[in-house]
Amino acid sequence: MKIKILMVFTLLILLRLQSTWAIGMSDMMKDMSHMSMDENGMIMNANHDKLPADCKQVSEDVNVTIRAGHKHALKFPGKMFAFDRQQIDVKPCARLNITFINDDQTRHQLMIHGLPGYIYPQGMFHLELNGEGQLQASLIVPGNKKTYLMHCEIAQHMEKGMKAQIKVGGGDVDLPSIPGISEPVRADLYPVAFNKGTWLILAFCSVVGCLLPYFIRKFYRRVD
Amino acid sequence: MFKSSLGLNFLLAVILIAIATQLFPHLTEKPGITPPVTVASQLETNGTEKPCLNEHPEWRKAQVIDGVEIAESLACDPDNPFDIAAAVKGINNVSMSTIMQSDLAQDAVIIGEDLDKDGDPDVIRIKLEVMELNGASPDGEFLVNTYDIAPSIQPGLWVYTPKMRGMGLKHFNSFVAHPMLRAPSPVIRVEQGDKVYITLENTHYLPHTIHLHGVDHAFLNSKGEDNDGMEEHPVFPGKTHTYEIQPRHAGTMLYHCHVQTAQHFMMGLNGMFVVEENRPNNWVQTLNMGAGQVRHSSVAVKQDYNQEYDLFYQSLDKKLSKIIQDTSDPRLVAHRMSREYNMSESFENYFMLNGRSFPYTLRESIVAVADNDNVKLRVANVQRSQIALHIHGHKATVTAMDGVDLSSAQQITRDVFDISTAQRMDISLKAINNGVNSYGPGLWMFHDHVPTGTTTDGMEPGGNMAIVGYKTMLDEQGMPKMHDELLGQVFNSNYYSKKQAVWGEGDYGKLLGEVGLIAPNLFKIIAFGLFAGGGVGLLAYTAFIYLRRKINEN
Repeated sequence: MKIKILMVFTLLILLRLQSTWAIGMSDMMKDMSHMSMDENGMIMNANHDKLPADCKQVSEDVNVTIRAGHKHALKFPGKMFAFDRQQIDVKPCARLNITFINDDQTRHQLMIHGLPGYIYPQGMFHLELNGEGQLQASLIVPGNKKTYLMHCEIAQHMEKGMKAQIKVGGGDVDLPSIPGISEPVRADLYPVAFNKGTWLILAFCSVVGCLLPYFIRKFYRRVD
Repeated sequence: MFKSSLGLNFLLAVILIAIATQLFPHLTEKPGITPPVTVASQLETNGTEKPCLNEHPEWRKAQVIDGVEIAESLACDPDNPFDIAAAVKGINNVSMSTIMQSDLAQDAVIIGEDLDKDGDPDVIRIKLEVMELNGASPDGEFLVNTYDIAPSIQPGLWVYTPKMRGMGLKHFNSFVAHPMLRAPSPVIRVEQGDKVYITLENTHYLPHTIHLHGVDHAFLNSKGEDNDGMEEHPVFPGKTHTYEIQPRHAGTMLYHCHVQTAQHFMMGLNGMFVVEENRPNNWVQTLNMGAGQVRHSSVAVKQDYNQEYDLFYQSLDKKLSKIIQDTSDPRLVAHRMSREYNMSESFENYFMLNGRSFPYTLRESIVAVADNDNVKLRVANVQRSQIALHIHGHKATVTAMDGVDLSSAQQITRDVFDISTAQRMDISLKAINNGVNSYGPGLWMFHDHVPTGTTTDGMEPGGNMAIVGYKTMLDEQGMPKMHDELLGQVFNSNYYSKKQAVWGEGDYGKLLGEVGLIAPNLFKIIAFGLFAGGGVGLLAYTAFIYLRRKINEN
């Protein structure tokens, strides 16, 4: 049952000849030369040695382990899923050697967006685990200062906390709603803990505020 | 002197105010002899859309994929035949090309050995995930994984989906949900006696279960754990649980979530579960995405019927659906859904057949028949209210209820079928033009005859309205011929956002169209402002002078 499939260029040509090809598939599946898949999960657009146009050489090798799962969201109130780190800082032209570990029993993804399309079709790098397990893959980031989005693309997983950023050369911005780092664009409203004490303070200050003009006037009259 | 001038001031103020009351500008007024003229509706541009997008015409034809025979579908928006092939043979038994053209995960449907040696597989492993449609995003005022039940109608929904791979979006730079993320949850089909393992992989942020309603299942699974999907055994986010069944009894059943059941059921966590009779060489279509036409029917169904359709009636309460669009925090969703929302004070606002409301039902849920066809309809009602299913131009016969076959004496032929909540009914629809079974070829509507059933948030025609279309009267895109005017009107978001007059176009447009407004009477408005303002001002001034004098006197 274990079928390990590595998509090869010849298969791509063969399939392109079929009339039904490229219809009914999501966009990112179209170029399969960059994809490998098995029952554990899939890797798309891994890149160990192709240099982006603005890089002369790989500046540094960064080995990172990124874990995913609900338990990593425990430290972020109001979230359900998260990565174990929300920011990765690398130098321009760095090679990230990612070990992606899924601590949940369900599917999770690690997707990086905005990469150069001539190396990474659709500008994305994608790791997906069907359940508990791990995957390893590398990518080389371009040479400019930029912040890249890293997230899980399963419905509501980014919204519920699986959002992180990769800052190349310090990055250009902070992306919104990254747990523990940046504010959301559309924040939820939470009730404030008003109690008898706070109401009393409010009432007292209001009375004082009302009487204040009288006392100020009295004070100035005395001065006169 | 001072005193009398104050009295005069007061009197003048009262007179001014009295005059002002006669000049009060009303928001509605009587028009005099001629009421305002008919005007054009204030429409949003880009409201109209093509009745049929015709995205995959090549999916309609009858075809054989990996040895799986797939029947023709005339629908404008047919099911992906590669998904069907994968659902019949299992992802483990289809070619790489089929896998690539379906987005099912590699372990979504695994089909195993033939236990009874009758030429078909009997060990079936199905994995379901839970997805949210039209949910909130902390990144802005928009919804994500959008799914339109009708033009621009996007209520929040939860669905079971077959385990898939890749993005949950249709395109990487849009918010539109992947076609596999849709309502209703897929119809699951297995054969009587199959050993079926259904794994719930909870990808959602709240706990859920799968309760196999009416399906023969043991109370505990082989590990001695919950096998009934009970409320006290929820599967929490990121966790999985496998339910095991070997159904001895064939029929049309259900599955649904049994956690916070009332709310989760109304949010869409339910689907049809069909157990087909055990026959030799009986490869059944394990998943029917979005219900509707079954393009690879079982041996027993093919023996008696020309075609088979799964019809799933579902309703939504917009107040409940809105909860997941108002907040991103799972704790707030749980709080508002379980404790603030009160279902006993709620209404149903959206009515869907196979996950869509009219006119989108025309894209997917036309029952396309030829003369003398005998069509098997498997109907399930998961609305909060009962449905009274009426098929125009036909009297059909109920053959089974709640998965139990009826004896010939019990099989009633009628034109309204009352189906309770969670009830299923198998119906034989015969296109025999004899004045009883059928009144002849036509584009015959079929819908829930409870008046709310054909409305979308109160707009008619909407809801679960659909058509039994004789093939001669359907065009090459599966859309009804001769109805361009109606289609042009309803495939328009202006219509369902209530911005368009129902009879605003055509010969009677001037007679029944949008009523114009009465021009504001500027003279009256100015006079009212001056009199009322003057009166109130004078009153305040007089009061001030009076008070100051009192203080000075003291």
